[in-house]
Amino acid sequence: MTEPQAMITLDGSQGEGGGQVLRSALSLALITGRPFTIEQIRARRSRPGLLRQHLTAVQAAAHFCDAELEGATPGSQRLRFVPGAVRGGEARFAIGSAGSTVLVAQTLIPALMAAGVEARVELSGGTHNTQAPTADYLTQVYLPLLRRMGADVELALHRHGFYPAGGGELTLHIRPATALKPLVLETRGEVRERRARVLLAALPLIVGERELETLLDRLRWPVDAGQIEPLPNDQGPGNTLQATLVAEGLTEQFCTFGERGVPAERVAHQLAGIVNKHLAHGAPVGVQLADQLMLPLALAGGRYVTGPLSGHSLTNLETIGAFLPGRLQQEALEQRCVRIVSEIQTPTQLNSRTSMFT
Amino acid sequence: MKQRVVIGFLGTVLDEGRTAKRWERWRPTIALAQQEDWVVDRLELLYDPKHQRLLDRIERDLASISPETELVPRALPLADPWDFEQVYAALHGFVRGYSFDTEREEYLVHITTGTHVAQICLFLLTEARYFPARLLQSSPPQRGSKGVGGELRTIDLDLSRYDLLAQRFAEERAADLSLLKSGIATLNPAFNRLIDAIERVATRSRAPMLLLGPTGAGKSFLARQVYQLKRQRHQLNGPFVEVNCATLHGEGSMAALFGHTKGAYTGAVGERAGLLRQADGGLLFLDEIGDLGVDEQAMLLKAIEEKRFYPLGSDHEVESDFQLIAGTCRDLQRDVAEGRFREDLYARINLWTFPLPGLAERREDIAPNVSFELERQGRELGRMVRFNKQALVRYLAYAESGEAQWRGNFRELSASVTRLATLAEGGRITEVDVLEEIERLRTQWHAPVPSVGGVDLADLLGEEGLAGLDRFDRMQLAAVVAECRRHANLSAAGRALFDVSRIRRKSSNDADRLRKYLTKFGLDWERVKTDR
Repeated sequence: MTEPQAMITLDGSQGEGGGQVLRSALSLALITGRPFTIEQIRARRSRPGLLRQHLTAVQAAAHFCDAELEGATPGSQRLRFVPGAVRGGEARFAIGSAGSTVLVAQTLIPALMAAGVEARVELSGGTHNTQAPTADYLTQVYLPLLRRMGADVELALHRHGFYPAGGGELTLHIRPATALKPLVLETRGEVRERRARVLLAALPLIVGERELETLLDRLRWPVDAGQIEPLPNDQGPGNTLQATLVAEGLTEQFCTFGERGVPAERVAHQLAGIVNKHLAHGAPVGVQLADQLMLPLALAGGRYVTGPLSGHSLTNLETIGAFLPGRLQQEALEQRCVRIVSEIQTPTQLNSRTSMFT
Repeated sequence: MKQRVVIGFLGTVLDEGRTAKRWERWRPTIALAQQEDWVVDRLELLYDPKHQRLLDRIERDLASISPETELVPRALPLADPWDFEQVYAALHGFVRGYSFDTEREEYLVHITTGTHVAQICLFLLTEARYFPARLLQSSPPQRGSKGVGGELRTIDLDLSRYDLLAQRFAEERAADLSLLKSGIATLNPAFNRLIDAIERVATRSRAPMLLLGPTGAGKSFLARQVYQLKRQRHQLNGPFVEVNCATLHGEGSMAALFGHTKGAYTGAVGERAGLLRQADGGLLFLDEIGDLGVDEQAMLLKAIEEKRFYPLGSDHEVESDFQLIAGTCRDLQRDVAEGRFREDLYARINLWTFPLPGLAERREDIAPNVSFELERQGRELGRMVRFNKQALVRYLAYAESGEAQWRGNFRELSASVTRLATLAEGGRITEVDVLEEIERLRTQWHAPVPSVGGVDLADLLGEEGLAGLDRFDRMQLAAVVAECRRHANLSAAGRALFDVSRIRRKSSNDADRLRKYLTKFGLDWERVKTDR
């Protein structure tokens, strides 16, 4: 029997975005088996409390550990989550108002990959949302790194979903990993390949052409590095511009979204700015990835070097610290870069029926 | 938590859109399901079957963006969605057939889609609580705001839920109550409760009212105030017409009430509209309705129920729509039981019955009424009259004591104050004036009635009945009874008593007139003759 564990209390109005605190807390509750209460969820927002996409994450997390829930309603500013043991299985979740399926997937992945269970999760909603990683980023950047750590996670994108139409479909397949290995990402190494890609649904081709032309011009990338991928009309309207850097150390990807009323050139300039900024500091791990690798690192150990930490990352560090105190350290480097270090020799105690530690 | 159910029309214009571009537009029905912090559990979508394709598209789009929402399409064929009658009937039919589960579900009526007529009908049906719902209004996203869902606003038509409005209504209501009481700050709790009830009925209902109470209790006065209140609320636009039924008799009574054509009866020289028609759009106060003749009762019933009647001698019905208030000091129920008053008419006017207590039962209201009367007198006399302090104390001490009988109720109090005000020198009522007035009242209430023609009225009316009569009435009644006892039948007595008007009026309604006079005191011929 597991002993009753002390309730962790989190402040959802702290730092950047209570949504992210919530998602990290859900993953961590599954991983550690510790219950938590999050208060003042998004208290300072114009629409405070839990949004529909947050609720789907809560329900998905609750499903895979038979959690006890309190306050899981739209607009609720307080949520109590008491996890049970993690289990695998098949499930399907649909996210309303074209909310991000990727954020739900990201909540489940670290928890399930460490639990030694097999799970297949079908998700529908948005697959390419602003304010969230895209499904492409997950398959091309995040999951390869997790696999490098020994995890067995696959993601299949069946249909693109953009805001506001939604309707995207993806399947997440997680199989038990033997053991998680530490991840080390200290240098970028040589950039071997540069790719630019435009996804375009129910919008004129010229939009993609203008984006690509401007981006390649700004980055001084060769013309053949660009590619336009038109999607079926019924998957739109939607437009995103991606820049991928395949380096020796890892693949990084950045993207911006076309918006009604925003010229294609500006979308391209924005992305070029992000790419140049990343290349300038020399650290291998980008701002977004730095945030997402914290949890896997806390579980399996390792270290990585990144540029200045975002507000999101700082909040995430605090949340992880609440569940796994002292697990992650940060070291300041030159050029305002940061090294995140997790010194653990043995794998984390896992909250799972199959885990020998519980 | 209750399930959230939205009921609304499929918007044939606003919800339309075939290409992917529709997603860039604000579509109200879709927008309901695009709120990030608000979920519709069930959407009851009213649509005309000719818009089936649009419905299918909306259904697909909803499934995509709001998997939590169950869509229930409700076919509502409308030949002309701009036709008020048709739309109202269709929606009324829908709402009557719908089983609401307000314990488990909260309902919102979405009024942004559908024709303006549909919007009006939805509003009316919600306001009338056919839909136990709040209204839901959606609006497109503001310029520069994020997302396509726009704004949602709920409107609760239960106005008492809005503090600011509730306060206004409370003030308005206080003003209404004050109007009904003519600004007199009455203290008697029973009376205040009664006025409270009358205000609620008066502002909400057009049904007849029945005011019960002894003579002088203020029935006529109250009827007039109800009229003022209804007029203020624009519920009436016609005049206030007051009739004392005890003053109507014979053929003339029919004509006076219902009007007549030229030559309808002997003496009907011209045409006359009659009081009922005069009261069209206004308020008719029928005082002493118990004294109305049987024929008149039948006509009145028709006039109330159908709002139309035949004037005397006319083949053509005329219309008159009036609010009726009836007054009586009699026990109408007994009159019905004894066949003097039509049961159906009684049932019709007995919906809102308000018994007005006499002054003796409202002693705490004597003081406020005295100051009210004094002020009124001041206005009428053109000079203000005030009590000296001691004088007022003396007067109220007597007026509120058990010794003061106030048989004539407020009328009597009013007369008493009138006397004081008129006799006061220099606008001051002194203790001397008050003592004199008290003496007058004592005499009025306690002076023995001289025996007239050897008739003992106490035998006929009992001591209690007698106590409720003015000295004037007692003396007159005793003389009338004495005269009756000298005649063989009602007709003979009538002829003798109405000797002068009989000749002048060239009519033969003396018996009826006499019968009515006796009925006023609860007497009839048999009783007058036998109880010797």
